[in-house]
Amino acid sequence: MLSKLETTEIDINFLQKKAREIRATSVQLAYDGQTGHLGSALSYVDALVALYYYWLNISPSNIGDVQRDRFILSKGHGCVSHYVALADQGFIPKEWLHEYACAGKPLSSHPCKHLLDVLECSSGSLGYGLGIATGMLYGARLDKLKFRIAVLMGDGECNEGSVWESAMFAAAHHMDNLIALVDYNGIQAVGRSDEIMGHTSLEEKFRAFGWGAMTVDGNDIKAVVSALDQCPLKTGKPTAIVLKTLKGAGVSFMEDDVLWHYRVPSKEDLERALTELDAVPIHLEKKV
Amino acid sequence: MKVAFINTLIKEAQHNPKIMLLTGDLGYQIFDEFKEKFGPRYVNVGIAEAQLICAAAGLARDGWRPLTYSIASFMTARCFEQIKLAIAYEKLPVIVVGAGGGYAYGDSGVTHHSGEDFALMSALPGMTVVAPGDIYEVEQLLPQIIKLNAPAYLRIGRGKEPQYHVKAPVILGKARQLSQQGQNIAIISTGDIAYEVVQAVEKLNAEGVFPIAYQFHTIKPLDTLTLKDIADQVHTMIVVEEHISRGGLACAIKSWMVDQKSHPKLISLSSPDEFILGSLSQQEIREKYQFNAEMIIKTVKDNI
Repeated sequence: MLSKLETTEIDINFLQKKAREIRATSVQLAYDGQTGHLGSALSYVDALVALYYYWLNISPSNIGDVQRDRFILSKGHGCVSHYVALADQGFIPKEWLHEYACAGKPLSSHPCKHLLDVLECSSGSLGYGLGIATGMLYGARLDKLKFRIAVLMGDGECNEGSVWESAMFAAAHHMDNLIALVDYNGIQAVGRSDEIMGHTSLEEKFRAFGWGAMTVDGNDIKAVVSALDQCPLKTGKPTAIVLKTLKGAGVSFMEDDVLWHYRVPSKEDLERALTELDAVPIHLEKKV
Repeated sequence: MKVAFINTLIKEAQHNPKIMLLTGDLGYQIFDEFKEKFGPRYVNVGIAEAQLICAAAGLARDGWRPLTYSIASFMTARCFEQIKLAIAYEKLPVIVVGAGGGYAYGDSGVTHHSGEDFALMSALPGMTVVAPGDIYEVEQLLPQIIKLNAPAYLRIGRGKEPQYHVKAPVILGKARQLSQQGQNIAIISTGDIAYEVVQAVEKLNAEGVFPIAYQFHTIKPLDTLTLKDIADQVHTMIVVEEHISRGGLACAIKSWMVDQKSHPKLISLSSPDEFILGSLSQQEIREKYQFNAEMIIKTVKDNI
């Protein structure tokens, strides 16, 4: 199936530029806020861009509309890039990015809905987003609402049994307006996820749990867009898109290295990353 | 109490179209009428307590009023973190219902015991914790808990709990007076062990001993006004609960006492700090670990 974007190369270029800007801003924020989890925040940026700049029917103007789509970042530790996307899209002021991970400020190191109401829910402990989404969609069906929910999870997060409890519930209730995107960057906090999960396929697991499932290059925006365009993969079934990604994607020396799960970039790391990404952090752009 | 719970919930659900009942694959047959009347507002989530709580959270954030139901031990300890983060942290109006609390499933063994549910639930900020003593208290308290519009835990029994008849009204957050008259010793209870207290009081009255007795069906927030009133009248408080002493009602009262200039002596009749082995019935456990009517009578007499 051809995606709408495959015919318009300029849009893909725009999305790729957005991805570079979000990555550059995320590295800057991790440095300024002296906070880790940068590798986890960089790996899913291409999917984040595909969702927020293309697929999700969500904008600052419809945030109060019950019909809007919803996005849940279930792997809350990777929130810095989500904050940048929210700021870039105008959901929150860009000035807030200067206060990322500062005490008492809205953009905390793990997302807190009490501090940042634009979020659907708080996150930080793993294995919650999918279950909360299923409750929202069950209620939506009773309310005759047809919005979609995209839940972004980590591959490490899929160690949690609760993910699979939720997966069964979603399949049992035929939630084909639910999309789980699994950031399969292959690395969790202290090891390789494949080794920890016994080299079993996420895609096959979701399929066995009654979902439509596919694996795509999660760092290729075009591939993610194309996958989203195919949702739901199977009528009457929720869809899992396994995003084969690189932890730390976009910054060569951070890629596929467990060190960058927790490591805070140095001044030198920041400068190298910004040069590689060839982008200026969005909150530092000079006003014309 | 299960029947009183569901009958009361059906009444509430008839005029509140947002009420939903989610079960973790328990409540065989007792929810049939609810299911028949309200169709998709009843959901059997399966034997998946984490999902039970997360789905309830997802519903509650969008205006639904879910109650989650399972056996108390599974409903609290199994998914404690989900209750903490998806409900209490988010301040969502979900009522977590633990059936067969305490040792109601005593003979089913340790896996089915919940001698720590008050401690777990009371530890969560903003959580209201309620343990009615009989079906009348369930009928009176459930609508009040629904009106709270906030996270709450409701411990109910397994079934066939004896009813007691006292005139005092049942008000959420307010201790209920069980005895008419009183001397300088008080018996304080929570949950369905209140019946043992009522029995003990009747026997003591017949012998000319008149303790004050109060049912603290609401464990959190603690009714410190009534507590102060009782503390001013007595030299000894006997706290009876089907729960370990640590983290339960006795513990909450002790914590309150720490801040008082003077306070009465406190005696805790509760379950032991150990796993209770051997498939004992609820009554056998109360007898073996000495928190039944007989022990209440003895403790009162020893301290009068």
